[in-house]
Parts: sequence; structure tokens; C-alpha cells
Amino acid sequence: MSSDFDTAGSPATETLVVNAKESVRERRAAQIQRVGDHLKREWQLYIMLLPMVVWLIVFLYKPMYGLQIAFKDYSIFKGVANSPWIGFEHFQTLFSNDQFLRAVKNTLIISAYGLLFGFPVPILLALMFNEVLSQKFKKTTQTIVYLPHFISSVIIAGIVITAFSPSAGIVNTILGWFGVDSVYFLTRPEWFRPIFIGTGIWQEAGFQSIVYLAAIAGVSPTLYESAVVDGASRWQMMWKITLPSILPTIIIMLIIRIGNILEVSFEMIILLYQPATYSTADVVNTFIYRQGLQGGQYDFAAAAGLFNAVVAFILVMTANAISKRFSRTSLW
Amino acid sequence: MSGVNLEGITKAYGGFQVVHGIDLEVQEKEFVVLVGPSGCGKSTTLRMIAGLEEISGGSLKIDDRVVNRIAPKDRDVAMVFQNYALYPHLNVEDNIGFGLRIRKESKEKIASSVEEVAGILGLTDYLKRRPADLSGGQRQRVAMGRAIVRQPKVFLFDEPLSNLDAKLRTQMRAEIKRLHKRLGVTSIYVTHDQVEAMTLADRIVVMHDGRIEQVGTPMELFQYPANTFVAEFLGSPPMNMVEATVGASDSGPIAIVGSAQVPLRRLPELQNCVGEKIIIGIRPEFAVPQPTGTKGAVPITVDLIETLGSEALLHATLQDKPFVIRTETMTSSNRLENVGAFTVPPEMIRVFDAESGRALLGQGKAQ
Amino acid sequence: MANMNLYSRGDKLFVITNMVLIGLFALSTLYPFIYITSLSMSAGFEARAGNVILTPVGFTLEAYSKVLSEPQFWISYKNTFIYTIFGTLMSLILIIPGAYALSRPQLYGRRFWNLMVAFTMWFHAGLIPFFLNMRDLGLLDSYFGIIIGFAVSGFNIILLRNFFEGIPQSFEEAARMDGANEFQVLWRVYVPLSKPAIATVALFCIVSRWNGFFWAMVLLQDEEKIPLQVYLRKVIAELSDDEEFATSLLNASYSVETVTASIIVCSIIPIVLIYPFLQKYFSKGILLGGVKE
Repeated sequence: MSSDFDTAGSPATETLVVNAKESVRERRAAQIQRVGDHLKREWQLYIMLLPMVVWLIVFLYKPMYGLQIAFKDYSIFKGVANSPWIGFEHFQTLFSNDQFLRAVKNTLIISAYGLLFGFPVPILLALMFNEVLSQKFKKTTQTIVYLPHFISSVIIAGIVITAFSPSAGIVNTILGWFGVDSVYFLTRPEWFRPIFIGTGIWQEAGFQSIVYLAAIAGVSPTLYESAVVDGASRWQMMWKITLPSILPTIIIMLIIRIGNILEVSFEMIILLYQPATYSTADVVNTFIYRQGLQGGQYDFAAAAGLFNAVVAFILVMTANAISKRFSRTSLW
Repeated sequence: MSGVNLEGITKAYGGFQVVHGIDLEVQEKEFVVLVGPSGCGKSTTLRMIAGLEEISGGSLKIDDRVVNRIAPKDRDVAMVFQNYALYPHLNVEDNIGFGLRIRKESKEKIASSVEEVAGILGLTDYLKRRPADLSGGQRQRVAMGRAIVRQPKVFLFDEPLSNLDAKLRTQMRAEIKRLHKRLGVTSIYVTHDQVEAMTLADRIVVMHDGRIEQVGTPMELFQYPANTFVAEFLGSPPMNMVEATVGASDSGPIAIVGSAQVPLRRLPELQNCVGEKIIIGIRPEFAVPQPTGTKGAVPITVDLIETLGSEALLHATLQDKPFVIRTETMTSSNRLENVGAFTVPPEMIRVFDAESGRALLGQGKAQ
Repeated sequence: MANMNLYSRGDKLFVITNMVLIGLFALSTLYPFIYITSLSMSAGFEARAGNVILTPVGFTLEAYSKVLSEPQFWISYKNTFIYTIFGTLMSLILIIPGAYALSRPQLYGRRFWNLMVAFTMWFHAGLIPFFLNMRDLGLLDSYFGIIIGFAVSGFNIILLRNFFEGIPQSFEEAARMDGANEFQVLWRVYVPLSKPAIATVALFCIVSRWNGFFWAMVLLQDEEKIPLQVYLRKVIAELSDDEEFATSLLNASYSVETVTASIIVCSIIPIVLIYPFLQKYFSKGILLGGVKE
């Protein structure tokens, strides 16, 4: 050890140090030149990238900076940066707020039911489409079932409101044939979730089946041919070949759905719910909408939003990591 | 003169070096083929010449001008890509004229240039077609037309025939050769196919692991490979490599292969090294099949005879390794079944140092 | 496979049952649209009495003339067209070059830029900060705010980037050797080669613009600027809440239901018209955007 100290100041070591410095400097200079050359060659790429990056910063990243109001006593006049910090006060209020807790509960319940009833339908549809022999029939029915996906939630809600209307709606008309008294469904808390989830399935199941149909299209036809030779029935082939073949896709979609469990299409809820059904219909985002955008409690609502976003982020990242293990390529 | 000059060209990705200092001088109007197994750095070298890859070190001159940091479009080179890169949304005419239009040439100039090139390549009847409606050979021609039309100083070819079937490849190979004769433009051609290299090149550059193994005319490389790598790479079927020990006899040096003795040329390198390990290389064409038990011949066991028509390949084993002999059938077919040994004229045997793999060429023949 | 004669009896039964079930599902998807259309063309009192089941009862187009004579309907319709056309153009202008740059292997910091895009798909600041940001930018109640504020989506960027990545790089290299600069490479080679993917993105943008409701409702107060969906919502909400108005129409030739239904039909029509194009592209698009890195 001591000999190291002895040589530390020797001329030989000094030259070494100088050389090392020199070479660092040279390397840096070479690097700068490389970057310079690169920019000279490829500057146009960065011009192309710039508008999009600026957009992302202005419209998506700047609001993230604005999230700090969740920890502040936000005042419109003082702005985001100058409002005073108050720590976790909003979160304390939040977690003792019955409406918020109810909204969290509703979010989870609606998502869970949506998953339970909504998840299998597109898979079944895909399996069934695959068994249709007439290409014309298949195309026509597919065209029909994909359509609702492209219809706005306002229109869908309009249809639902009309169809379930107590006086003129078709649902009550049909119930009337069986002697059932007319029900004002949209004011009944117990009916909100079935209607909302049913609407969701009606609107999206067909479209969601595309992913599974693509997976089925990837199954090697020789599997079916050898099964036919072995004397399998179509029913058996569907369960023993098609379904196992698309199982990886099913698992990935399931993981993603679970990861997105906090994502409830709140736009549709806003369109369908009313004070009478808040008890079962109010979810976190509608809560934020009412408290923040309608009620003007921006900081408090932002705290609820932050909580929602962080939990959602953790869930999504976890789901992504798990699905990566299943499939090498992760879906979004 | 429109030559291409590479001096100590290197390429590194991060810390990983893939091309280790290439020195090469391509003369004006010369057709040079870079050949080697995949991953040998030949394509990277070509792409550096094209300007598609940045050069990590060394200097590249085209027409005596250093172009290391010049953009591809200003290097006055044109390239034919492996997948042709024909624009599917443009017809043949517009594909060929694309470069001229980008360079804002006048309409009349573009039209006349395209017409001329189409004439040269026999594409006149196909000018309005889209690439998807062309055969493989026609697409290949369009790709060349796109390069020719700009009248560049240098043509670069990146495995241009590898997407064609065997028959078409032979045909297009000849066409490229003819075109080069007609236009006389300096060309650098990359391939992994040694037959293409042999048939097309004025000079071949054999590359391996990012280095040049040997440069020379096809016949030089075929006859005097500089090392075992080149020896085994060129020629089909490849040269047979046999481990041997140097021995001496009254008539000169010999190679001892098992119990057999093979007379060698009097190479100065072989003096005073009796007992040392060497590798002798024997081309399948130069081994003369002999009946079993022939005196002075090397015994082998033939286990398979492939008849190709005018020739046959005898697959044999020598020292537990495959040994192939190519022989004519028309003159000797009745004897093929009896073959159990071979002889080789000493001047047809190549001798390599067993350790370094370098060829012992004798004086005056060092590269 | 399509020859039924080769099938056993069990298989035939299975195939037929399957077809019937699918047919029923398709009908149940279609029915609400038929119902609404019939409703829109029925007499008000018949609709009110719940007599419309499948076909129009007491055929009349009164409801349509009521809707179409409303100036606000046309204002909103025009606004929706403005938002859809300019919004989609804005999206393409921002996304196409950006996605192209992201797809180039020679781009420095490519991982970082990609992560920057992907992160926006995993984490949102939420409604409030986004709204306050729009307000601070002075984009409330502004056409430009709606057009620019929702122009970019991570999904569309990744969809297009993946498509560009799938185009062999030799196209870029060939064009560059032909003397094209990066903009020319993009515009004259990559854009024409990517027509299907760009059409997909454009159609996604068109649909989301046409259907966009929530943010338009939040950001636009000025009736002169609201799009069709917001107007539609207002009408539905007002009519269905206003029992007095509803009963006042008891014997009129149109009713709350028929008016609502006819606005719905009017606003669906453009989507139905582009639906054939949509269908051609979206299934490819959805899969293209699905796989990443």
C-alpha cells in the first residue's frame, strides 16, 4: 500500500495521468465531432420529430407538472407554481370522503362485472365466427357487429335512454305485454350497472373479437387437417385446437384488462347516470368531474385524479411486465 | 481517374469492431468483387463506400477526393440493393427517373435518359408497369437502370442476385458482366457466392472476420490461395485439406499422409523442416483417381459416387475426413467402381503451414 | 372445407346452430338502429304510446323537419365538420413526420423518444390538470384549442411507427443515394408506401373527432362553437327532463322520442357512409398498433 503512495508523485505516473486526461479530452472531442457529423447529416429527422415532441410536452407533460396542485391550496389567481403547499391535506380529506370511497368501490365493482360478463363474449364470438362456412354470411354479420364501436357514446346513450324510457321505450312496451308495470330503469340504482355493462358489451364485443380472430387466423391449417383425418368433429376441433391455440392471446388480453381495471368509460356514465343512481354509478372519474370541473375544487379533484393515475400506472406496468413474460412482445 | 481508394477503413458499433482496417485500391473501370461468408464485413464496407454507414476510421477516396464526411448523394455513386428497393407505387419509368427528378433535371432530359437506359436493359416495353407486375429478372434490370441512369462514377452492388432462382442468376450474372464491359464504370460488388465472384470479377477481395484475406484475380486466388481460408472458400466443391507431416525423399520433399507418401514441389520453405506438421490442399479436380492398391497412390475409401453427367463426384474418406474427387465420366466411367486411391501431380498440391494456415508458395509467388 | 356433404350429422347440426346464434347476435346489434330509425319516422303520438316496435307507425318526417329547421343543428353540424377535417389534418401533420423520425434507427436517443411517447399511454395527469393547462394556454372556447389539444395520441404514433419500421430500410437508402433529403424520402417514398396505415390513422382520427364529446362539452361554452355531439346531448337531456314539454306534444305529429331519434339518425349518417372504408382498414390497424418493441 505504501509503495502506491510513493509512486503517486513520480514523473512516470504524472505522464500517465496527463495521457489519460489527454485521451479523455480526445475522446470527448471525437464524440462531439461524431455528434456534429450526425446532426449535419440527419438534422431533418429532428425537425420532423420536434413538433410532435413539443406537442407532447405542452399538452401531456406540462399537465403532469400541474399535478402538484394536489399538494397545494390552489388558487386560480396565484396559479400552479405560486399556490402554497399544504402537503397531504387533500388526500386526508379524500380518504375520509364517503363519496370518494363509494366511487372507488363502484369503479372496481363495475370493472369486475364488466370483466366477468364482458370478457368471454368476444372470445365466444371469434370462435363462432371461425365456424361459419359461408364467407358472405360471415362478412355481413361481422360488418354489423363491428358497427356500434364507431358510434359515439352520446348516440348510444341516446338510444339507451329512448329504449328504456318509462313511457315510450321499447323495453317497457315488451314488459307490458307480459303484464309487468312500466319501470323507469335509469332512475333505479339496482338497474344502472346491468344496463351500463350490457351496453358496453353490445357496443364493443364484436370489435374486440378482431384480436381473437387474428389469433385464430394464425393457427396452422394442418392442425385441423390432421384432426379431420383423425375423425374429430367440428365441436371437438373448436375446443381442442382453436381454443388452446389462442389461449396465449386470451391470457394477454385478460392481463391487460385487469391492468386497466380503473379505466371505466366514464363518458358513458356521465351520459347515463343521474343523482338518483349515483350510489351505484358514480366512479372515480365522474367524481373528479363533478368535484373539479363542475364544482371548481380543482386541487381536491386533482388529488383524486393523481391517486387514480398512480394506481392505474402501477397496475398497467405490472400487467405489461406479466404479459411480456407470456409473450415476448407486449401489447400496448 | 474514377478509382476508389480505401486506407485503413474501420467500422465499430459502440465498442464492437466489425471492420478492422481495410486497405484496397480499386482502379478505374475495374470490377472488384468483395466476397466472404456472412458477417465478414463485406456489406458494411460497401455501405461505408456508399455513405450509408458512417466510417469509424481511415480514409475513403473516390476519384482522389476524400469523401468520409460527404453525404451519399454527393459522392456520385449508385447502388443496387439486394431487395432492389424499387418503389412499388411508381412505374418502371418513374422508378428509373426518380433520382433525376429529385435532382430537378428537366423533363426532356429525364425522358431521354430513361429511354436510353431502358433500351440498354431491354425494358422499353415495360416502362408503364409497376414493379409488382414484373418478373424477378425484370425487377433486377430496373434496379440496375436506376443506378445507370445517373451515370455515376462508381456502381455498388449489394448481393443483387441473391433473390433470384439459380437459372435466372446465371443469366443475370452474364448480363451484369456484359453491361460492365459496355459501360466501363468502376464497380464494387458484394456477394457471398464464390461462383459469382469468380465469374464477374476482374479482381476478387476475399474477406473474413472484418479483414481482407487476399486480393487477386480469380485465377490467382484459385491457383494460389494465400491461406487455408481462401483455399476452402473458393472452388466448388471446396479444396480437400489433408493434414500431413513433412518428409524427405531422394527426389525432393514429400508429405506423409498416414502410410502414404505424396511428393511435393521443391519449395524453399520446406527445406530443413522434416517432421513438421503441414496441411496439403488438393482441389477435387486435380486428384487423379486410381484403382485400389495402385503403387505410390494415397489409399482412400470411396463410399458414394454422384454422377453429374459429364463428370462424377467421388465422395471418399481420408483420415476420417471427407475427401472429394471430381472426375470425368465419359472417358473413365467403367473404372469408377474400382477407385480406391488417388495421385496428384506435385505442382497441383498447395501446401499450408498447419499452425498459421498460411500458404507456402515458394519464391516469386508470394502474393 | 366448405363442402357440407363431407360433414357428419353432428357437424351439420353444430354448424347450423352456430349460424343461427351468430345471426341472432347480429340482429340484436342491428335492432336498436332499426328501432331508432323507425321511431324517427313515426308519428309523435304513436311513438309516445310505445307502439313503434320494428317499422315506422304513422309514417311522417315531421320530426326531421323540426330538427333540420333548428339553426343550432346546422351550426353544430358545421362545427363538427370543422373539428373533424382540421383536427384530422393536424393529427396527420404532427404524427406522420414524428412517427417516421421515431422509426429511423439512426435517430439519436431513439429509446428515450419512444419512451416519451409510450409513457403518455401509461400515465395521464388526469382531467383537472389537463383542463387547467388548456385554460392557462387560453384554449377554452376556441376552435383551435379543440383542434390542437387532441391532435396526437400515443396509440396512433406507435401504429404508424411500427408500419414505417416494417418498410425495408433499403427504400430510405436507395432514395438517399438518389439524392433525396429526409423530407423527400418521407413524402415521396414512405408516405406513398404507407397509404393503408395512414388511412387507418386518419380514419381513427375522423371517428374520434366526429364522436368527440366530453372535452368539447367541458371546454366549449359558446353555442356557436359546440359540435354536434354536445348539441345532441343537450337536446336529449333537455327533452327527456322536460315532462311538461313532452305532454304538450301529446297529440303533435312529432314527440320528444321522434325528435331525439331523428337527430341521432342525422348524426350517424356520416359514420355509416365512411364505414366501408373504416372496415377495410381498422382490423389491420388495430393489430398493427398492438405489437410494440
